[in-house]
Amino acid sequence: MRRGPLLVTFLSGAAVAALFFIPHHQAQAVNNKLLEWTLVVYAFALILGSMSLWNSHARKLNARAEGWPFSLVTLVSLVGITALGIWKGVGEGSPVGRIYNTVNSPLASTMFALLAFVIASAAFRAFRARSVEATLLLITAIVMMIGRVSIGPLISPHLPGVTEWLLDVPNLAAKRAIAVGVGLGAVSTALKIILGIERSYLGRS
Amino acid sequence: MLRSEAVDQTLDTRWFDPARLNILIGVLLFTAFLVVNIFRARAKSDLYVRPIAGLKALDEAIGRATEMGRSVLYVPGLSDMSEVGTFAAITILYRLAQRIAEMGCDLDVPCYDPVVMTVLDGAVRDAYSKVGRPDAFRPGCVHYVSAQQMAYVAAVNGTMLRDRPAANVYMGSFYAESLLLAETGATTGAIQIAGTDKVTQLPFFVCACDYTLLGEELFAASAYLGREPVQLATVIAQDWAKAVAAIAVTAALLLASLGHPTLASWLRAA
Repeated sequence: MRRGPLLVTFLSGAAVAALFFIPHHQAQAVNNKLLEWTLVVYAFALILGSMSLWNSHARKLNARAEGWPFSLVTLVSLVGITALGIWKGVGEGSPVGRIYNTVNSPLASTMFALLAFVIASAAFRAFRARSVEATLLLITAIVMMIGRVSIGPLISPHLPGVTEWLLDVPNLAAKRAIAVGVGLGAVSTALKIILGIERSYLGRS
Repeated sequence: MLRSEAVDQTLDTRWFDPARLNILIGVLLFTAFLVVNIFRARAKSDLYVRPIAGLKALDEAIGRATEMGRSVLYVPGLSDMSEVGTFAAITILYRLAQRIAEMGCDLDVPCYDPVVMTVLDGAVRDAYSKVGRPDAFRPGCVHYVSAQQMAYVAAVNGTMLRDRPAANVYMGSFYAESLLLAETGATTGAIQIAGTDKVTQLPFFVCACDYTLLGEELFAASAYLGREPVQLATVIAQDWAKAVAAIAVTAALLLASLGHPTLASWLRAA
């Protein structure tokens, strides 16, 4: 029963992998066409996504679960914005575009701005000197913070150089070691999927 | 018919890009390692893979959630199916959902991408069926939230604060939202386990989570949890490839230091 999807996965995976090595314009045209197909698949999946969103919030609303007013806002927004988009269009200057710019964007910026506060609280937790490693991290962080601001060179002219060395040598070495592992892991996972060793993504058997 | 000479000149007519020869050799070598180790695994089933603390803690997290009567929140990253990290998140959830079905606790999987949601829904249903508990599957436990990064974060953070899951598991590809999610989860007292292939987000997870899978451990997780010999063989092939990469980089470094940068240039090509 799974033979069909496995065959499609193998053929499309092998084709895309092969196309990576073939710069011929006709091959790249095929590659671009395959990428266009993913957009079509995404459009259909978005319908399923909207249905899932509706179902999960309608369930909360019916059960009067904690936070149900948020579900009501979500459902009203989903229906309202969809209707407005169909009726008036979604281009620049349309009502949907204005709502996006005046409501959605500021809300997203507000959420993003919270990052400054959570970085402070996470740093407070991480920089407690509970062990040798945590103490090393704390000392490195202090050197980095002082060395990267204007007061750093006033304390010691060597501080900016030390911070550059920390970033370019030990930090970069660790990052590259992880990156090599990630690269090999990614190739391994891709091969497992193309060769049919990993099948959990296929879902119901 | 009008034809542009300039356009014709820009059309690539090569059937192989020689600049990518190093990558092709690497992939073929890796495939060879994979095949050799699969045969080894079939002959000898007790392949050793070092213990990974974060994966051992998954059982603890599910047990804790079951005892407390609370759910396990699984965040599968904010990428689509073109990211290998997303595939890793799917395979880990498949194994995790089997344990959750056996233990009988609740699972909540908010999704960022509708295609990923569809695939995850099928995988979780299959996982429940595989352990003989299809009745325990709660329709809607895998659900779509939003394809907007911060809207997704707001919704998932709200779920953490209202439902207070006993365990938060973050697996897959994460971006600026990693710390916003993990720090909110930390304030709820949940046990937190994370894993990502995004090197820039790892420090945030290390700060805010109890356990973090670093880079390649994310990809080894599925094999580790499944304990199937063929899956474990892929992890060993990965280690062999890493050894070859280390030898190649060291050789390139030595040769470049001696004034022969050819190997280093070849490795860096493409």
